[in-house]
Amino acid sequence: MPQAGTRVEFTNLEKVLFEELGITKAKVLEYYVRKAPQILPILKERPLSLKRYPDGVGKAGFYEKNAPLGTPPWVKTFRVHSDSVERDVNYIVCNGLDTLLWLANLATIEMHMPLSTADQYGKPDLMLFDIDPEPPAGIAEAVGTALLLKDKLGDEGLRGYPKTSGKKGVHVVVPIVRGPTFKEVREFVRDVGKGLAREAGFVRSEFSQTKEPGTVFVDYLQNAKGKTMVAPYSLRGTLSATVSMPLEWEDLRKGISPGDFTLLSVLKGAGRDPWADLLEDRQRLETGRHGE
Amino acid sequence: MANDGDVEPYSAQKASKRPIWTGTITIGLVNIPVRVLPMIFDKEVTFRFLHKEDGQPLRYQRICTKDEKVVPWEDIVKGYEVSKGEFVVLGKEELAAARPESDRRIRIDKFVDYLSIEPIYFERSYLLTPDKSGDAYRLLYLALEKMGKAAAGRVTLRTKEYPVLIHVYKGALVMTTLRYADEVRDPSAFKELEGLREPSKGELDIAVRIVKDLTGDFDIREYRDGYRERVGALIAKKMKGERIREEKPVREEAKELMAALQETLEQLRKK
Repeated sequence: MPQAGTRVEFTNLEKVLFEELGITKAKVLEYYVRKAPQILPILKERPLSLKRYPDGVGKAGFYEKNAPLGTPPWVKTFRVHSDSVERDVNYIVCNGLDTLLWLANLATIEMHMPLSTADQYGKPDLMLFDIDPEPPAGIAEAVGTALLLKDKLGDEGLRGYPKTSGKKGVHVVVPIVRGPTFKEVREFVRDVGKGLAREAGFVRSEFSQTKEPGTVFVDYLQNAKGKTMVAPYSLRGTLSATVSMPLEWEDLRKGISPGDFTLLSVLKGAGRDPWADLLEDRQRLETGRHGE
Repeated sequence: MANDGDVEPYSAQKASKRPIWTGTITIGLVNIPVRVLPMIFDKEVTFRFLHKEDGQPLRYQRICTKDEKVVPWEDIVKGYEVSKGEFVVLGKEELAAARPESDRRIRIDKFVDYLSIEPIYFERSYLLTPDKSGDAYRLLYLALEKMGKAAAGRVTLRTKEYPVLIHVYKGALVMTTLRYADEVRDPSAFKELEGLREPSKGELDIAVRIVKDLTGDFDIREYRDGYRERVGALIAKKMKGERIREEKPVREEAKELMAALQETLEQLRKK
């Protein structure tokens, strides 16, 4: 029988999902319940890729793109042909609290979302700069690159929204007015990356130059149909239960460390949402004039 | 059936109008072709087992108790358990050979007083309808009714031979299969029933008076399956969208979760 207020029946609440911290599924559910008002608006209408850890994050989790057997009828799904696996994928779309709770009850830790919505799957409404440091570079270098990027975007009249990736990286997202294709957005991000690389010696803008120790790659490749980024406020399947945390630029300037944002600290923290205006702040992207 | 106009969410199918068997009633040299239709249906509420987690129905698998593997139908044979854990295997063909062949006849041996037959032997009743034999059918019906008799005989239905009675019921001939004598336990085997004290005449008089006072006409419609009606009403309610929630005691680890849920619901409602 479901709990009051939801169609979802919580099961195995005492199951430990983060062994090292003793975090149970009840706590994970509580986290997603508390964060739902912030997560749900951005997840809306986006076909999700999920990473589930039914045996806890110490054990291998698995990616789930297809709505599993037994998906309740009230869960919205979106069927799309995937060229990479050459078959239809029936994605889950999380349009409400019940779906979010149902996913969390299935030990979904990570939620990855595309940069477009189901109704216009091929037209991005988000532009992503995925800033990925290569050791020994780490979060400090990623944050430095993000701050350089902020100024660069400012020169173009664009406002980016930063978040931690929940691992070592930083994501900067620019909400855009739909129109440009993924390819155009991808080229835009790549060109901005090239500009950054010219200014800062440790920044790399080409895929072929990654893996060079101590560099930071401004990854443009995720700006493609069907590609995803980890959703803001999504937990990560790390031993320390880190969160992909939306931040103010001010937070980045003060400096952050990877352990700052975890399930427990975010749950304790204030409820302010640096990304609250993101979906209302759609910006027009002038594409096609950024050459070398 | 009277159910206060509620839907009848019972799995029992309506009595089929299709015959399960056709044959003839044979009395000596007289044959009356009839169709045999089911007339008893068990109105139990049946449930499916579902997986609690996702609400999906379960299916059964036949698993070998030794290697725990699923056994396909073609690898299954029938075994008779001779003694605990010891079986004699009977092949499909062997069983088929032992099966009685139905000659599609209800052979009548004799006519008996219907009321003299102990109801304990009654098993299952089937409706007989005439098969282009209306006159003979009606004649047999009236003769049985007038004399208060039933025709006793035997029939092979599917793979089993049954003793049967043909008797009258509301304008129709009904065939009721009977249990064999060795299928009914004899109460004399029970020691608890031996040597019971005989009551005094006075005691017996009082008991008889009580019985007389409570004597009335039997009407089966006075009896209703309360459980079935309550479950039926419950299901009907659920079908109308009224959800009946089981309020489970909230365990300690879930208390904060429940508090969070209520606060978030409140917050989402305000938006």
